[in-house]
Amino acid sequence: MTRFLDISNHALFWYYLASNVAYLTMLIVALKTSLAHQRRLESHRLKWIKETPLAPPITIIVPAHNEEGSIRVAVRNLLQLDYPQLEVIVVNDGSDDRTLDEMREEFLLRLVRAVYVAEAKTAPVRGLYRSEVNASLLVVDKEPGGSKADAVNAGLNAATSPYVCVVDADSILERDALLRIMMPILEDPKRVVAVGGIIRVLNGSEIAGGQLQRVRLPRKAIEVIQVIEYLRAFLIGREAWGQGNMLMIISGAFGVFRTDLVRAVGGYRATAIGEDFDLVARLHRHLRQQEMDYHIQFVPDPMCWTEAPSDLRSLGRQRARWQKGLLDVLWPCRDMLFRRRYGRIGYLALPYLWIFELLAPAIEIGGIVTIVLAACLGALSQGFFVQFLLFGYAFATMISIGSVLQEEITYKRYNDWQDVARLVSYCFLEHFPYRQLHMIWRLQGLWQYLRGDNVWRPLTRKGLESAHIR
Amino acid sequence: MASIFEKLWRLGPAAFVLKAIIAALVANGLLLAFILLRRTYRKRYFAKRDARVYELRQSWDALVSGEIPFDTWRSKPFDRRIVEAIALDAFEAAGPEQSARLLKFLRTSGLIEKRIFEARHLKGWRRMRALVALGRTRAPEGIPALAEGLRDRDLETRLAALRGLGRMACPQAAEEILAWLGEKGLTVPDLPLQGALVQCCAERPQLLLPYIKNAESHLREVLGRVLGEVATPSLGPDLLQFVGDDLDELRAAAARAMPQTHSAFAPEVLSELAADPVWFVRLRAIVSLGKLSDCRAIPTLLRGLMDSNRLVRWRAAEALVEFKTEMVPIFEKVVAARDRYGLHAYLTALENAGMRGQLEVELQANTRTIEDVKQRLRNVLETGTLPVEEPATAASLPNSAMELR
Repeated sequence: MTRFLDISNHALFWYYLASNVAYLTMLIVALKTSLAHQRRLESHRLKWIKETPLAPPITIIVPAHNEEGSIRVAVRNLLQLDYPQLEVIVVNDGSDDRTLDEMREEFLLRLVRAVYVAEAKTAPVRGLYRSEVNASLLVVDKEPGGSKADAVNAGLNAATSPYVCVVDADSILERDALLRIMMPILEDPKRVVAVGGIIRVLNGSEIAGGQLQRVRLPRKAIEVIQVIEYLRAFLIGREAWGQGNMLMIISGAFGVFRTDLVRAVGGYRATAIGEDFDLVARLHRHLRQQEMDYHIQFVPDPMCWTEAPSDLRSLGRQRARWQKGLLDVLWPCRDMLFRRRYGRIGYLALPYLWIFELLAPAIEIGGIVTIVLAACLGALSQGFFVQFLLFGYAFATMISIGSVLQEEITYKRYNDWQDVARLVSYCFLEHFPYRQLHMIWRLQGLWQYLRGDNVWRPLTRKGLESAHIR
Repeated sequence: MASIFEKLWRLGPAAFVLKAIIAALVANGLLLAFILLRRTYRKRYFAKRDARVYELRQSWDALVSGEIPFDTWRSKPFDRRIVEAIALDAFEAAGPEQSARLLKFLRTSGLIEKRIFEARHLKGWRRMRALVALGRTRAPEGIPALAEGLRDRDLETRLAALRGLGRMACPQAAEEILAWLGEKGLTVPDLPLQGALVQCCAERPQLLLPYIKNAESHLREVLGRVLGEVATPSLGPDLLQFVGDDLDELRAAAARAMPQTHSAFAPEVLSELAADPVWFVRLRAIVSLGKLSDCRAIPTLLRGLMDSNRLVRWRAAEALVEFKTEMVPIFEKVVAARDRYGLHAYLTALENAGMRGQLEVELQANTRTIEDVKQRLRNVLETGTLPVEEPATAASLPNSAMELR
């Protein structure tokens, strides 16, 4: 038993070390990339892109299911975006609240007999509506499809542009977000097939007239911790993976894709739990199989602000769902592991996701149990135990502060001193007991999936309530 | 010699962890100190900058006219950067008179010379910044320095130089870009190049013609696209040579450019291109025919409404809806063609343009059409389906390719 605990603790030590080294590498790569990106931005002027006749048209697809609280603000925000040629398609996915009525009132919708070719199979479409106040707005009203993917596919069928951008109905885009996210595509339209933007936590900020007016840190601790998580995930993780063309996730809340390629892979998988991750994984597979020279990129400055769960229950459900989504995608992709054909995706990105994302909750919780057990049985020196904890704590804090630093030296959205002080202090506080709770939620997600509970369920939304709408 | 792993192992996890803790704690302290110091510094810097911008703005006219000697601010990098930023921003929105005044100021104050020097001699980001700033001045004397930037080994520098030349927006800049393309071929992504050329060739699109004739296939396509954007009436006869070109992109560019030439033969040429085997050439031709607003285009647009490509059908429908005085006859022809895809496209365009009600009214008021036909048309308009008594067959559909739809 003691021997087993000893081996287990050593294994855990090396696992932590490897994970921390990976994160440190990503932090360094991300800092370097961000600074280079900032420099590059100095020689760009967004106004020039806004005026160019060569910018390709974009269709924004907004899947909406019971979004009566946020739909007006969200759609108004999208219609005000700076971009030369824009089409906005809102897909009302069988909402049983007033989502469609809200849009009817706000945008004076009228039923139109428009062409709708169901290239990707979806739940039946009830009708198409065009706005009287803004001709670029089209609303697709359909039967509930049971998943966000189904709704996005309906939007995809109605889309008429060479690029589609999927945006959540509870999200707010910054006015120049589309111009910024399209920059890599405009520079290299042949190679860049998809681009992801950054998602930020909207809770606590102020919105007026469909635009984000003032960015503030949310009040609740659980929301602030999510701010740090988002900074870490996007400004470090995605930035670094994107730099190596190994980006596996473009957030479903904000990403641009080449329409023909999304159609070529059959649109979104309607049964996928993490439809955004699933699509990117299938795009990688498709493009690698076609031996195409491509790039899936992440750009950290086009910002999308989204509502984050503000209570433990919703957050737990969200994280369990993300973990289920991870397994739901990684399992079908297991044939890509360590296959030469899939290059760095098969050798690096997917193994990382398996080891440090998918199995992390099981390994971490198992590790905590064995360490405690070894300490109780006297198989572990108490000094080493404390040191080990301290190391994990100090290192994880360093990564979190690193992400705050990254935000500070590049995009600096939290201008208030108080906000920054709170953000930094939560870098120290998030590790107990939030981190352990988070692992339990993720483990629950894995367990639910393995038990066969793998149905996509929408989260309960507050409808931008957490932001102050004026 | 022991490997690194053996050394690590001998160190023992406990000692290693202890060192790692110390390192992580020091790193945390440094990160926090950096954030704190940076914030404090920036706060003071921006307060100082704001105050100085305000002061300089107050005396802006005196600064530009030279009443305040240039030496008072030129030798101070902080002031110089502010003055240059204000001048370049003003330049973007200035009319011809104000532009001339600002350009004179930039020249006499030596700011342009300084940027030319930086664009030639600095490296990395500072050079790129200088190249773009130089372009923003629109001073022709900056063109040689920008042209040197085009020949740099670094792609980012080449792009910055290209952007700079694009901002010059003059034929001399276009000549430099085209000469460089002739020399080196296409070594930058398409879109920045097209953007720069569109701006520079707007005045003299003829500059492009010899290069299009001699360029390699992909570069030819890129230049063709630019030609499509910048074409002017003076280019009319020259465009005809591209109508029968082997490259699809060139034919599409010719179609795109045609309405801007205002030539009498445009409808015929576009009708020919609207029957091209390549869908995007047909699409461009149909869009251009729509822009002509010429009744001679209606038969071709009706044909486009039955195209095998969905985008071509949509654009044809949108163009047809614009013929507001011919709505009833067009609708009659759309129904007579008995193509349900074409009919749907037309009705969609009608709905999108909010013209459905107007067509109903015009159908009602139309005296030339017999009542039976009118009723049939009203039914089609109401139901969106073709009359059942004469079922459409695939064979009767022009360009029929049902599987493509």
